[in-house]
Amino acid sequence: MIKLNKVSKWYGNFQVLSDCSTEIQKGEVVVVCGPSGSGKSTLIKTINGLEAYQQGEVHVDGVHVGHSHKELAALRARLSMVFQHFELFPHLSILDNLTLAQIKVLGRNRADAEAKGLKLLARVGLKEQAAKYPGQLSGGQQQRVAIARALSMDPKAILFDEPTSALDPEMVNEVLDVMVELAKEGMTMVCVTHEMGFARKVASRVIFMDKGNIVEDRRKEDFFNSPHSERAKDFLAKIIH
Amino acid sequence: MNTVELLSMSAPRLAMGALITVKFAVAAMVFGLLLGAVVAVMSISTDRLLPACARAYVSVMRGTPLLVQMFVVYYGLPDLGISLDPTSAGILTLTLNAGAYLSESMRGAILGVGRGQWSAAHSLGLSHYQTLRYVVGPQALRLAVPSLGNTLISLVKDTSLVSVITVTELLRSSQEIIAATYQPLPLYIAAALIYWVLSTVLSAVQHHVEGRLTLQTR
Ligand SMILES: Nc1ncnc2c1ncn2[C@@H]1O[C@H](COP(=O)(O)OP(=O)(O)O)[C@@H](O)[C@H]1O
Ligand SMILES: [Mg+2]
Repeated sequence: MIKLNKVSKWYGNFQVLSDCSTEIQKGEVVVVCGPSGSGKSTLIKTINGLEAYQQGEVHVDGVHVGHSHKELAALRARLSMVFQHFELFPHLSILDNLTLAQIKVLGRNRADAEAKGLKLLARVGLKEQAAKYPGQLSGGQQQRVAIARALSMDPKAILFDEPTSALDPEMVNEVLDVMVELAKEGMTMVCVTHEMGFARKVASRVIFMDKGNIVEDRRKEDFFNSPHSERAKDFLAKIIH
Repeated sequence: MNTVELLSMSAPRLAMGALITVKFAVAAMVFGLLLGAVVAVMSISTDRLLPACARAYVSVMRGTPLLVQMFVVYYGLPDLGISLDPTSAGILTLTLNAGAYLSESMRGAILGVGRGQWSAAHSLGLSHYQTLRYVVGPQALRLAVPSLGNTLISLVKDTSLVSVITVTELLRSSQEIIAATYQPLPLYIAAALIYWVLSTVLSAVQHHVEGRLTLQTR
């Protein structure tokens, strides 16, 4: 359902992405890893049009991601994203964080949006926090709210950009547990993460990036057991202590 | 006539003058905030022309004295067939001037809201204007309150300049009394005190608003 074909992007003379191609099927969980600065965030942001690119093509559900603003908004409502720094809206209550886009983008009425929001908060174990503000929650709780917010749009796929790397270690698992559950329910997920435990447990594929290139794009067993490239070997050696 | 008699005799006229000062200040505040918001939104537009217009406007209004702006509007515009009465000319000039400063405060505050908030809002399908209206704007407003408050306090004091285009506000009222009584010191001090009270009230309002806005986020 997500297809990247030779996507390239430059910042001035600096090439952030070079000829990146991959295809992600419905229900797949794809983990994207690689050294910092290798272009992982940039790559997944081209999928929902948050980053423009200069060459190649991105298609989501047959819709070309690139030019028309109208299509872009519709597309973004169907592809949700979870960010490293949560990016909850600090001036809105937890529940309002979950209802804003449902009401303004999907046109749901407030009662339905709130019912849906509360159901999703219950699902991530935070129903009691509905009336609080993001600043009153721990990092792990905020990220679970962010996942609930992503789900409130009934997305066809969710993009995760290092969802646990800004968290204190003791909070990583509460977020990963929610993600594992989502994966098991068949959600299509693209996750930039260095949590290799998560990758081993639920990933169908691993994409390894280096310097803007997709160096490996393989079934997880193959990637972990016999990485082709030296860079991936080094990377794995460093990350799995 | 001793000072106490003088001041109690002048009190009604000073009060009238103060009322007109407040009227000018409030009108220019309301219109200035609206204008400032529009110019701030123009200045962060992705369009090419709008930010350039906004920059030019701000540059001219901040780079020239308010007094000169007042003269241009009141004495100059009639040459182009636009004659404004002193009240309209005064409010218009104050609005244009304050709008420039207010727009800069708002622009700074909008830029002070992290890029991540824009990305998050866009990733949920909110448009540029929806993001401004529901996500970035409310946060920017909280950031902008202190600097908006300072500009509005300056505005109260700047209203004294409309005295030069024959508006009988607080300063001009005291000048008229002085012309009849030849006692400048007590009257100017009285006028100064009234400006000080008005600014202090406004500054108290600013603190109150700041306090309420922080309460809501925590
Ligand atoms: N706005 C920008 N201007 C210039 N360079 C950028 C910009 N954003 C990111 N980069 C560069 O692009 C590269 C890839 O960034 P990113 O996709 O964030 O990497 P990763 O997520 O893998 O750490 C980095 O070297 C970064 O410095
Ligand atoms: Mg990144």
